[in-house]
Amino acid sequence: MYQPLSGLHDPIVVDIQQPNFTDVRLTIRCERGDLLSAQEASVLCDRLDALFTNQGAQVTTLSASSLALPGDDFGAQQAQAVDAPAPTDLTITITSREVGTSDNPFLWTASAATFTLVPAVTETTFAQDVTVRDDSGFLLARDSLQGRIIRRFGAGVWATNAVMNRLFREDDEDITEEAIKAELSADMYQQLSQIVFNAKMRWVVLQDASPTAPGAAW
Amino acid sequence: MIAYIALAMVILLRPDPAPGLLRSKADARQIDCTAISEAAGSQQYPGRIKPEPPRGDFIDKRAVICRERLMRAGLRDTRDEAVLSTLRTQTAELAAAAVAQRPDLGARSWLVEAYYPSVQVSGKIRFSTADALVSQGVPVSDRTPVLAAGDIDVITRMAPQQAYPAACARYAATGSLGEDDVLLAVMVRDPRETILHAGLCEGGRWSWLR
Repeated sequence: MYQPLSGLHDPIVVDIQQPNFTDVRLTIRCERGDLLSAQEASVLCDRLDALFTNQGAQVTTLSASSLALPGDDFGAQQAQAVDAPAPTDLTITITSREVGTSDNPFLWTASAATFTLVPAVTETTFAQDVTVRDDSGFLLARDSLQGRIIRRFGAGVWATNAVMNRLFREDDEDITEEAIKAELSADMYQQLSQIVFNAKMRWVVLQDASPTAPGAAW
Repeated sequence: MIAYIALAMVILLRPDPAPGLLRSKADARQIDCTAISEAAGSQQYPGRIKPEPPRGDFIDKRAVICRERLMRAGLRDTRDEAVLSTLRTQTAELAAAAVAQRPDLGARSWLVEAYYPSVQVSGKIRFSTADALVSQGVPVSDRTPVLAAGDIDVITRMAPQQAYPAACARYAATGSLGEDDVLLAVMVRDPRETILHAGLCEGGRWSWLR
């Protein structure tokens, strides 16, 4: 099961199907962390590239390259593939981390002893930390999107869930692996779009506030 | 067998804010939660969350602290909901930025105006900003500067980066904003954003804060 804890289910106004970032040059850095390997960070960056390109932005991505470790072939290959930094208006940095896990070995023992009739439960709380900076490094937006994934393992759980999905739940209330992935992705992409759009508007206002802006008072 | 089934039901039916047997996905999205360690939980909620035993625990436990949202989803406009749910934080930041950037204006009389499509939300933004300014220790007036209908007609047709400086100049020229007054204006500049911006108007000069 997936439960958005904070940030992931905040109200969203921006429509990700619209050109919200026309003529904005974005650089996206997907950093590896507790939860993302270099390869997964690269996949995330590719998806965010598509997300913001579809909204009209000119996107450059930096993923495993920025944090290639000794002996990490994939990261090293990525690092070599990246040329000099492209000029950018906004830089988005995304870091994934594990906030905590919860596991009960007694339940796993009981589950094994009862042929999984008693369910085993593991929980993982994760956070996607997002920062958006302008080309000078000024911090425009920062947020932490937190959620929780609960895995219940066992024949009893599987059977109960299947019956609930089939007989009692509406289609959009079904609890399945695919639904969990789709909901988490939808929440994250919408929230990221809103955070970056808000950062873009702050960047626009700061440009108006700069001493060189037309009509600036200071 | 019955004992096993009972144990399975206890696990499946235990109170948990996540969607499952007892809670729908829609209900789970109506609450904001924070996952904290058992030790932090017992400090914040003594008596309700048991502290970790002195010799540690064999099981990794975490507490999930949840707060139900004030308004049910869909009752308010989405942007209103987004702005109002962070209003106190946002206005506190704007007031702090205003006073910090212009400490020389601390003795003047501060006026607050909010430019937001909804009149009701606009009033809440104005009140919250005035309250935040009072917390910063500056004198706040509840007077609202006004413009003539002709000025409003012209200004509302201008782009935001010209409209606010122009309105500021007109406030000063018409005497609506005196020499001893400072106006802190709070607004949204795009219907797709959920953050507030602010600018200062004093002596007919406009400056953006953030």
